[in-house]
Amino acid sequence: MSTAIYLLAALFLPLFPLSMAFNQLAARTRQPLVRAVLLLIWPQLGIGLIALAALPPPAWFRVWALVTAALYAYRAIALRDVGLWIGFIATSAWSLVWLGGAVPAELALQALAFSAPLVLLSLLTGDLERHFGAAHTRLQLGLASVAPRYALALVMAILAAVATPVFPNFFTILATISSPVAGGDMGLSPLVIGSVVALVWLLWSWSGIRLLQGIVVGVGRERAVADMSRARARAYAIGYLILAGAGLELAGVLL
Amino acid sequence: MERLLPLVAALPLISALLVHALAGGLGRRVARLSIGFSLTGFAASSVLLALAIAGQAPRTLTFGAAWGSLLFDPLSVLMATVVSGISLIVHIYSQRYMVEERGFARFYVLLDLMTAALLVMVSAADMITLLIAWHLIGMLLYFLLGQDTRSQTAYRYAFWTLFTYRFGDLPMLLAAGLLYTAFGTWSLPEIFSALAAQPDIRTWFDLPLAEVVAGLIALSAFARSAQFLMHTWLPYTMGGPTPVSALMHAGIVNAGGFLINRFAPVFVHTSDVLHWVFLIGLITAVMGSVLMLAQHDIKKALGYSTMGQMGFMIMECGVGAFSLAVYHLIAHGVFKGTLFLGAGGVIGDARKDDGVPKDDLYTFVVERRPERQRRPWLLMAAITLLVPGAILFAAHYLVEAEFFHKQGAVVLLFFGWITGAQLIFATYRMRTENLARLFTLILTSFTVVVVGYTVISHGFDLFLYPDPVFRAGISTAADIDLIWFDVLVAVVTAFIVLGWLFTYYAEQQRIRDRAWFQALRRRFYRVISREFFINDLYGGAGRLIEAGASRLNVLLRWS
Repeated sequence: MSTAIYLLAALFLPLFPLSMAFNQLAARTRQPLVRAVLLLIWPQLGIGLIALAALPPPAWFRVWALVTAALYAYRAIALRDVGLWIGFIATSAWSLVWLGGAVPAELALQALAFSAPLVLLSLLTGDLERHFGAAHTRLQLGLASVAPRYALALVMAILAAVATPVFPNFFTILATISSPVAGGDMGLSPLVIGSVVALVWLLWSWSGIRLLQGIVVGVGRERAVADMSRARARAYAIGYLILAGAGLELAGVLL
Repeated sequence: MERLLPLVAALPLISALLVHALAGGLGRRVARLSIGFSLTGFAASSVLLALAIAGQAPRTLTFGAAWGSLLFDPLSVLMATVVSGISLIVHIYSQRYMVEERGFARFYVLLDLMTAALLVMVSAADMITLLIAWHLIGMLLYFLLGQDTRSQTAYRYAFWTLFTYRFGDLPMLLAAGLLYTAFGTWSLPEIFSALAAQPDIRTWFDLPLAEVVAGLIALSAFARSAQFLMHTWLPYTMGGPTPVSALMHAGIVNAGGFLINRFAPVFVHTSDVLHWVFLIGLITAVMGSVLMLAQHDIKKALGYSTMGQMGFMIMECGVGAFSLAVYHLIAHGVFKGTLFLGAGGVIGDARKDDGVPKDDLYTFVVERRPERQRRPWLLMAAITLLVPGAILFAAHYLVEAEFFHKQGAVVLLFFGWITGAQLIFATYRMRTENLARLFTLILTSFTVVVVGYTVISHGFDLFLYPDPVFRAGISTAADIDLIWFDVLVAVVTAFIVLGWLFTYYAEQQRIRDRAWFQALRRRFYRVISREFFINDLYGGAGRLIEAGASRLNVLLRWS
């Protein structure tokens, strides 16, 4: 029975190939607010199911999660569309929650730590899509030259998404690597687990920076573009500050 | 007074915030504000250094429960003074150099943030603070190198740098995980004490913890200090502004040497890691120097020169001369920073007038036209033996009686002798009207090299590692079996002496004019000019990895 619950949980804390359902859904959800809510709620449903199972997941689930995290991190380096990238990074990050211990409250915090930066990025992507038609590297926006506030907001959002210190997902990764339970029952050495998680982190950066370079760097094709309003820029800045503050707070809980 | 340390780290952070907030109103005058904060930071760190020299005991300043702490100790305050000093010079230089650049205020914000990150890194007292600072330096450097946001080239190479740095973050992350799992603390002083209490503690795969952690830390240091196979980014990051190049070469790439010093209490419990560190440093020093000689671009040549110097610095760590590596990184930082800040002016002047002095030094070094009239070579050869001999004899009595018993000291002195002798043989054919002056210069430079390896090394040793037992421990950790050591020294000596003899024979027989030699030389040059094909290999691998991800995405319908 518990295995069935875990299999259902693997739809919400998505493990490949069940993860394809989430990514299809995310790609089809064009409304930024709905997408943001999806990013917040989806993994929490999975954690709710894990809590329902009451037993720790079988070891092979964790190996499966590790493989999924690496697979989506790897696939993300070929992406050029920010919307798709958010889905892949979310899948990769939420998979790591399976390695995060057995206390559901802590797992919920970890999932939230991975989701929150992606929510901000998702909202920003909505703004970019409305303003420029798409958030895609092929558009050669040269955002830093034509709309510096948008550029700064995107830089911060992607840095937050790829677990740059002091955003909360950085501390979640650190907690996963330093957790003695990380590989205990998996038949894998924690050194192997730690190395794979570290590699996943590296791949996130690779894909994120490529995306950033494609959108922010270069001479923009469009000459006269209205930049983000000051009020909106301030709202994003407050969002990043809250995220950073939450990161420091989370560090106190997880480490 | 040691409470000044957090202030030193906080000043550039406050400056960054103020520059960002006031840039709209003050315009380019915000640079003065930033310079003011920089100057105050340098003054405060100098006070701290004076305190440490006066013998103030090390102390940890804690701001959080589990992490967020700074360490006041000789290493941190020395490095903080160096970082804030170099940063101050770069700040002042940039005020005029960057005045016509777009994103002037952004540049100063990033410069201040980078200074803050460097200062936190050198004074971090726990693994998390260290990791955060270490990681942020890579990120900030990426944006500093990409100051020109319209230049795809600058960003391409900035990405190489970031990727290498991120790659170097991973071993440190793993080391942090291992240490926390073993000791249940992030605090560096507590970790070092716990490790000293149980140096043989094992970790995963039943491996010795000290060896594994030291190996991982060394890997992080290699990536940061552009060691061989992780060096490809360094010579190509010249697309960034000159002040960033100066800061990078003077204060950022050197971080590898600092990191190994910070983890000296771990390395002291190892038996093999330092030998690998030595080997990698040696290969990097040789490769960097060879590649530097093949460059036509002054900044790229400086880049490879830094690679060679970093190799030498890591090599010093490998022979247990940890404190000498710190001296080296400071000396290198000062002279390389000067060269970079002067490079722009030299290039600018050369465009108007080559200004090349047609003097003896130029014809000898650049045009390779040696004077036929030579100094008596026996005298020159005698100098190569007598000067180091005399200095070593003096060192034995004046510095430390046990000096010759340290393998590291012997290796470095040996290296000093080789380079000094090479200098003497090179200048042996140089024309001069004032023979006494030439000899004085030769003797002085040779003496400085050897004295540098004895007196300065000893002075830094006493300051950074006052405990003689600990110093002996580092030396022992770097030692190899005495017979092997003697054999290696003999083989390397024979190799170098044979090289000299071959060079002499080749010149006598005019081998360089023969067809086979010319063909061999061309082939060798082709390999060097393509930088041993390492960049091509990495570029190809990168494209292959991305193409694989793309195919996989198509196969899985992008979901």
